[in-house]
Amino acid sequence: MDTFLAALFSGTSRGAIYALVALGLVIVWRGAGVVNFAQMGQAMFSTYIASTLIMHQYSYWIAFFVALFAGALMGALLDILVMRPLSNKKKSELLSSESMRAAVPVIASLGILGALQSLAGIIWAAEERGFPAPAKQEGFKIAGNVMPFTSFDVFVIATVLFTLFLTTIFFQKTGMGLAMRATALNQEVAKLSGIRTNHTRTLSWAISGAASSLAGLLVTPTSNLSPNTLDLVLIVGFTAAVVGGLDSPIGAVIGGFIVGLVISFVTFYDTPEDVFLSILALLVLVLIVKPRGIFSGKDARRV
Amino acid sequence: MTYSLWVLVAHAGKRERVNVVINRRSLHKAPGKFATIAAAFVAASLMATTLPAQGASTPGVSASEIVLGMQLPQTGPASPGYNKVDDAIRAYFDYVNSKGGVYGRNITLVVKDDTYKAGLTVSTASSLINKDKVFAMVGSVGTQTHISVIKDLNRRGIPDLFVNSGYSGFYTDPKKYPTTFGALGTYVVEAKILGKYIKEKFADKTVGILYQTDDFGRNTVEGLATAGVTFTPRKTSASFIAGTQGGGLDAQMTQLKANNVDVVVVGAVASAFAAAVKSANKIGYKPAKWIVISVGSDATTFKTILGAGGIAPAVSSALLAGTISASHAPSPGEADDEFVKAFKKINDDFNKGPDKTWDNNVLQGMNIGYLTTSALLGAGKNLTRPGIIKYIEGNASKLSSAALSPLGYSTSTHEAFTGFWIGEYDASSVLKPIDGTRKVWTTDSGKGAVTELKYTRPAIAADALPKVG
Amino acid sequence: MSNSHSSSALKKSLIRTIIFVLLILLVQSRFDAYNQAQLALVLILFIGTLSVTLLTGISGQLSLGQGALMAVGGYSSALMMINLKLSLWVAVPVSIFVSAIAGLLLGITAARLSGPYLAGTTLVIALAIPSLANRFISVLKGDEGLPVDVGYPPTWLSNLLGEITYEQWQLYLALPFAALALFVASNILLARTGRSWRAIRDHESAAALAGVNYSRSKVFAFVISASFAGLAGALYGLRGLVGPSVYPVSLSLTLLTAAILGGIRSIAGAFIGTVIVVFLPDWIELAIGGFEVSEQVSNFLPGLLSSLLLILTVVINPAGVMGAHRHKNK
Repeated sequence: MDTFLAALFSGTSRGAIYALVALGLVIVWRGAGVVNFAQMGQAMFSTYIASTLIMHQYSYWIAFFVALFAGALMGALLDILVMRPLSNKKKSELLSSESMRAAVPVIASLGILGALQSLAGIIWAAEERGFPAPAKQEGFKIAGNVMPFTSFDVFVIATVLFTLFLTTIFFQKTGMGLAMRATALNQEVAKLSGIRTNHTRTLSWAISGAASSLAGLLVTPTSNLSPNTLDLVLIVGFTAAVVGGLDSPIGAVIGGFIVGLVISFVTFYDTPEDVFLSILALLVLVLIVKPRGIFSGKDARRV
Repeated sequence: MTYSLWVLVAHAGKRERVNVVINRRSLHKAPGKFATIAAAFVAASLMATTLPAQGASTPGVSASEIVLGMQLPQTGPASPGYNKVDDAIRAYFDYVNSKGGVYGRNITLVVKDDTYKAGLTVSTASSLINKDKVFAMVGSVGTQTHISVIKDLNRRGIPDLFVNSGYSGFYTDPKKYPTTFGALGTYVVEAKILGKYIKEKFADKTVGILYQTDDFGRNTVEGLATAGVTFTPRKTSASFIAGTQGGGLDAQMTQLKANNVDVVVVGAVASAFAAAVKSANKIGYKPAKWIVISVGSDATTFKTILGAGGIAPAVSSALLAGTISASHAPSPGEADDEFVKAFKKINDDFNKGPDKTWDNNVLQGMNIGYLTTSALLGAGKNLTRPGIIKYIEGNASKLSSAALSPLGYSTSTHEAFTGFWIGEYDASSVLKPIDGTRKVWTTDSGKGAVTELKYTRPAIAADALPKVG
Repeated sequence: MSNSHSSSALKKSLIRTIIFVLLILLVQSRFDAYNQAQLALVLILFIGTLSVTLLTGISGQLSLGQGALMAVGGYSSALMMINLKLSLWVAVPVSIFVSAIAGLLLGITAARLSGPYLAGTTLVIALAIPSLANRFISVLKGDEGLPVDVGYPPTWLSNLLGEITYEQWQLYLALPFAALALFVASNILLARTGRSWRAIRDHESAAALAGVNYSRSKVFAFVISASFAGLAGALYGLRGLVGPSVYPVSLSLTLLTAAILGGIRSIAGAFIGTVIVVFLPDWIELAIGGFEVSEQVSNFLPGLLSSLLLILTVVINPAGVMGAHRHKNK
């Protein structure tokens, strides 16, 4: 029973991180129609900025908000410098087909990931750093047992739910959010109805950039910070997004918790060697049964 | 219709034109592509042709220089900590060069980053062998990566000196790998020695293990089993995939805690030990003892990782205090050890690496530089590849090193240090011999018994250079 | 499709292949040992890049898991060579077949997926497959892996050609396989299969209307691509070791980079892209040779430069080197 509770708590707190990563992926997917594999590269980069500030004796919260801002700025810049020129090339031979239009931004985002990792290596060396947490990392006691669940985990889960709340409100209740959804669904039609599609796209990149910085800031206290540490988090976070449905913010969050729990229970009850295989199995299973993810709407858009 | 394709091939400084005539009709619209292929070749051959170093009959040795090669992960997930070893070796060589080199020859160390990907190691080795024409490889880091090149190095007769891996498969059969020599005690030897200690000291305690599922972790489990310390999978034995410790080791620590493990053996790298302590701290798990294999026992790495995670140095010192580990060398924290003193000074003066904080990795690098210099001196003025191999194999006792254990090199094994002393971290994070006096234990990588070893380390010379004989 | 059409495709491909082989032989004779080994690596990875070109460039499916398929080829050939003592001339071709089956399974799963879903799923596959090595440790030997190599050249060949170095032998061994891959790829592109794949890429529904069996062609594209990747993987392992650290996730990304840089729709592009990714570190070393550049910078330069090249290619000239060339010709 204790092991069960521990696995449950551990899975929930890991799941919250994956939920946040998945949420970031969903925002760009909904706002710009791109799955951004560079996301954790951006997160790593802005966390390094925060870490450097903290090492220079700035307070945690100053570093925290600077990192969020840096993440948003980086997201916006990526859109303006890379993704926007890319989508303007639609007339070119290579991007003339639907499947290639979906594939090429993914390739570009992989390039950005590689560039950010190399750049971080050049600036901050390949040294491994830790990163502080804003809340206590000591487990709560439940029925006399200390569980792998801390005030910090509560903070993370609260942050995830708050971000989910903001995202949902934004997409459904604000004009900007609606414009974003319209842009992602059909840029031409959105343009015709007077939406400044470029602005809305850039905005969704900025929001997603901030969200992924948040993920970076919250995942590194339990792991360590190096140019490559977040690669795995991204792959797992992607699985979470697909499991929940790339279209659905709430799906992404639930997907994150599902994946976190699967990993946790496999680690506790089976063996860590099966973790990657179980992620793959979960992903394939969901894609076979429900290719658009568990919580996706009807076949809203083709990919 | 025909068209000509000019292929310019640069060769040894002069250009030749090769005229290739192709029947255009047969190619239809293809010729453009093939012209481009040719252009790519031109570019590649122009860029790539380098003049080989000529002169000496032994590669990498000239009247004024000895070129040595090393490969290790300088970047990437496996690099933290290890990426300081090469800078330390080079710092020692620079010191030797500042004192006139070895028989007037300066030592040059060419380092290649293989990012711990074995596919890349093959290429970096080819580059060191064919392009840099190294005399020998020295201090290469990594087991899996080294497996991919060890056969080729040996087949070519290239001395593969002082490999930074405790994988016994490299050293225990010199007929298989005649040119390869280790720079660590093997994982099995260390685990057997610690196993004997655990068996005697903690007979009444529940002993568990946390290990990484690679050669290092598994050799550790094997060695402990040979010494009679065994574990029950999923109860007292917890594992993780090397490189995934970044995600925390909550599950593993919870498992050990749930099975009332009092003594935790850690067969993992330093960052994983830090992650384990962090996770244990989180779930309020306070094992009576941590016992860490030397690979994972580095006070600097431990405190750096915990420190950057917001844990104050005083707290991490307290967490480390009482931890047991083994070592073949003095602890880097032993400020009055004459080797530590001398190496630290050289590190301060000569290390040009990005991070030269004094720790186990730097000490190990310095010692490899010292050992290599000693072997080069011993092999004599007329330096040859078979010569240095023969010298190391036959003169282990004449080679100098900072270790507190003798070197094991002989015609029957190429293991480096066969002895370890067991220590405990004190409140100031220095590994101090248990019970106050340093006892060195020895055994083999097979089933042999663990016995006490009497060894007096020769003193370091005033100029910190090794002396022949 | 008329007979004369397919026979002219055959002839065209054959001529391309012969020119390719002659050029390689010519260039390698001018190379030193290091560059011969590098060229052998180019030939091996060229086959892997072709697997990306065929899949992504022709049928529009983006796979980030080609490295996993390479691992399938590598492990199957190494297991046959070590456990069954088979010669590499038997083991490598059989490993192509094994990889094709893996491709079939992958293709059947992937037929339902497209775009980023497929990219992400194959990325997870690239991560999960190498972890099998530690799961089935008694057979796959965990992290230590299975050491295999190309051995020595046979004496009859040395008698024929004079002394053959280890690097040359690696190259001579890779060449027939690379030539075969080039020949097959060229044929596929020139013949009908290539056209039906392109139809899928350009418009799925239109392809269906035109009578192209959509999902069957998609699966077939995966089988062919996996065979190429498997062959590349088997040869890549023969450089010294088959193990998890030989086929990391980054290997898949390297192949993709090569395919994009050269031009994802062209065989010549695949070759040029491979030359670029293999020789880039050497060129950088040459370029910065005269400057004082710290290790910390120089170590990350190849990664930074190839990533930047990838981004620039996609943004400025998505059709790659070969695409730029095509435009100039027009």
